Amino acid sequence: MRYELCDHTADIAVAATGDSLESAFAAVANGLAAASCDEFEDAGGERFSVAVDAESREALLFDYLDELIYRRDIRGELPVDHRVDAVSGPGSGTGERSDTGTDEWSLEASARGVPLTEIDAREIKAVTYSEMRLERVDGGWEAYVVFDV
Amino acid sequence: MSNVTFDADGITLERVREYVWEIPPEGDMRAPARVFASEALLEEIKEDKTLEQIKNTTHLPGITNYAICMPDGHQGYGFPVGGVGAIDAEDGCISPGSVGYDINCGVRMMRTNLTYDDLQGREEELVDSLFTNIPSGLGGGGIVESGVDTVEEILERGVDWALENGHAVEGDLLHCEDEGVRAGADADKISQKAKDRGKNQIGSLGSGNHFLEVQRVTDVFDEEVGAAFGLEKDQIVVLIHCGSRGLGHQTCNDYLRKIEQQHQGLLDQLPDKELAAAPAGSQLAEDYYGAMNAAINFAWVNRQLIMHRTRQVFERVFDRPWEEMEMELLYDVAHNIAKKETHTVGGEDRELYVHRKGATRAFPAGHPDVPNAYRDVGQPVIIPGSMGAGSYVLRGGENSMDLTFGSTAHGAGRLMSRTQAKNEYWGGDVQDALEEQDRIYVKAQSGATIAEEAPGVYKDVDEVVRISDALGIGDKVARTFPICNIKG
Repeated sequence: MRYELCDHTADIAVAATGDSLESAFAAVANGLAAASCDEFEDAGGERFSVAVDAESREALLFDYLDELIYRRDIRGELPVDHRVDAVSGPGSGTGERSDTGTDEWSLEASARGVPLTEIDAREIKAVTYSEMRLERVDGGWEAYVVFDV
Repeated sequence: MSNVTFDADGITLERVREYVWEIPPEGDMRAPARVFASEALLEEIKEDKTLEQIKNTTHLPGITNYAICMPDGHQGYGFPVGGVGAIDAEDGCISPGSVGYDINCGVRMMRTNLTYDDLQGREEELVDSLFTNIPSGLGGGGIVESGVDTVEEILERGVDWALENGHAVEGDLLHCEDEGVRAGADADKISQKAKDRGKNQIGSLGSGNHFLEVQRVTDVFDEEVGAAFGLEKDQIVVLIHCGSRGLGHQTCNDYLRKIEQQHQGLLDQLPDKELAAAPAGSQLAEDYYGAMNAAINFAWVNRQLIMHRTRQVFERVFDRPWEEMEMELLYDVAHNIAKKETHTVGGEDRELYVHRKGATRAFPAGHPDVPNAYRDVGQPVIIPGSMGAGSYVLRGGENSMDLTFGSTAHGAGRLMSRTQAKNEYWGGDVQDALEEQDRIYVKAQSGATIAEEAPGVYKDVDEVVRISDALGIGDKVARTFPICNIKG
């Protein structure tokens, strides 16, 4: 699992890879944390869990990242050290939109919340769909997500 | 028409006339795209995906005449920053992504009767006091922190709420677009999540490119209009740049997701999912318009609270009442917004959703939507520059209705990515250089923000304004230069 912060004129993009959907999702989330803050302690802050449902694989990634930004504002903590325990969906992860309607995809994850008062963090306003990619590649998954700064 | 062209690495622009370039329709483009820029600015604009994004914008159903890229245009997400899309409000659509996440991100300028002489020697005291008293950065709270019921009142009532609660005076409403209260605002169309994010951020700058700046007027180019705006050389003014905070960001995403779920057919026709639009007349289009108008009210109140707090800071630093310092709102302009407006198209009046994302309304003298105070001279337009380059005050130009649906640029426009900026600059160095060379006092929550907002990462604001002026869409009135700058 790894991520890279990419150049974007006004905003910031995260390119991430993982050997499973779970690790690719977590890598994007860790990229979001890195884009928000250059340095934070390796320990401290409590872990909290995150659960999201959506109608497609991409929508699930979008809603997961949107939820993390929402939690940041509500809790006053930057979510870091992301773990995605399970991503489940129809068709064993084919990623096709399900025929039966919405909420066929779900995710269970957790993160450690670092109080914003303890770090030098900047605001990422939102996750965007612009140029979003989530693709199966040899040996895993690749994701590319642009965030609004 | 001459057949001069500009080759932007695979996209050819045809010169319509000086500073006006057109990308003719091809493929599924429903209209041409026009770029209003000099060749020097085009050389910068072509470096990222701005032109591809303005082409994509023409795929939106109901796009009228042409999609517009302003001289400060740069790559955004979906719709470029510096973009204007006038879209038929009966047969077209409204696009939350084309308004942007920060609904009613905008700028306001407050006048004072102080001069640069009054302030010299007190810059540090002032910047420190502003930084301490005006919440900024991530998790910095707001001037007002309260429950969701207060958020709902603000969403519905805008600056009227601030007036009733002692954060505004009558004159503030008279010098704000729509008098600070957007009609058609519907707080019920804003999600609980968005309200929860907003309730701790009422009266806060946020981070990124948002800032509060104390400036001095260095030039008045048009004495008559300058007098109407109450501006004169050496005068101290305050510029505030921020938006609707987490409430607006959440609202945009809520509606992008609803569009994805309810209007997949329209979404499938668009080349970038971030252009997501609700068809005009649909329930979702109505709901978004009500929500966006409510978020507009929230942003106005946000800037109002910051401005009123600034008055109190000046009272303490200069030891006299703010009224005595004549700290009055000059104007407040939005630069991320979609407004239903009536424009003349092909000799007929048409109702359009005019999407301005990183673009400013610039209505000319005589237009009925310009507040009474400025109707004879045209709407004030405030163009913030980088923290080393100063800002401009323009007035809506007489050609704006014909050329750009009553719009002009919104700022300098970024040139360099944030990651590249952090590699090239160090916040502390930028801060020291500004103080030593230009006597600009900067205070920020984060050194990285200073590096990312260093003067060198922006386009030349002088050139952007020169083009606006030459086209007659926004005429130069005055120029200001920073003294104190606080940011997230």
